[in-house]
Amino acid sequence: MSKDKGRVVVVPCSGIGKPSGSVSREAAYELCESLRPQKTQLVALSKLVLGDAATRETVARTPCVAIDGCQQMCASKMVKKSGGTVIHAVAVLDAFRRHRELKAEGIAELNDAGRKLARVMAEELVETVDALGSSGVDKGATYV
Amino acid sequence: MTAGKFTFRVPEDRLYTAEGIWVLSEGDRPSNRIRVGLTDYLQQHSGDVAFAFVKPSGARLLADETLAEVETIKTLLELPSPIAGTVVKVNPALDLTPEVINRDPYGEGWLATIEPADWGADRAGLLGPREYLSHMQSQVQEELEKP
Repeated sequence: MSKDKGRVVVVPCSGIGKPSGSVSREAAYELCESLRPQKTQLVALSKLVLGDAATRETVARTPCVAIDGCQQMCASKMVKKSGGTVIHAVAVLDAFRRHRELKAEGIAELNDAGRKLARVMAEELVETVDALGSSGVDKGATYV
Repeated sequence: MTAGKFTFRVPEDRLYTAEGIWVLSEGDRPSNRIRVGLTDYLQQHSGDVAFAFVKPSGARLLADETLAEVETIKTLLELPSPIAGTVVKVNPALDLTPEVINRDPYGEGWLATIEPADWGADRAGLLGPREYLSHMQSQVQEELEKP
């Protein structure tokens, strides 16, 4: 049985120079390393941009969650361009709209509000990841 | 104007304030309404818009009195009214899709229309497109020189 069975690929923004990019990556780390390490796989957006064959294959056969830093929505777009399916996309701006008190500042180092916003986003994504895991949606992967 | 990877547009059909508000008369007569919004430079510099609150229709404003608060992912902008007058219409798109300010700052992303109290006097204090471009270039240069 594949170790990827029931896993969800998580692709965050790779932008630099804006706190929202840092928030998206922090949310992805929180989700993939702390909250649901067994059910998620973090994929670097840059690997998709480079067209890395193994990464494209993973994305194409696994449901993906995109965490977009800004309205360019590069993470969502690159998953689709790589043959993958975005089953859930979240944007830092939308999360901020729901949690106006959490205004992210800092780039190399996020402020407390930025880290909290990332945490909130990760916690909201847990529900999606768990729902997918229990429903067994994995686009029919056949690897063992 | 282009600076690095950024391009900032300054249409020639309207006037500006140094703070980055554009002002467009909807006709040539003094009684015409005035449409206002954020410049391309101000919206790009401020980041993705999360909320936009504009004084409601009927609000009477003095020049420089706060017309709108626009909160972006980076900052909170308090935007002064470029002219004295009465707000007659607020862009309804701002309620649900305030990001229209980023997408189309000179078109669908307008903030409000104002019936001017003394357009002739207020117009004299605004910048023409060339003057604003020059002012904006100085602002961009300052940004580029920041450590």
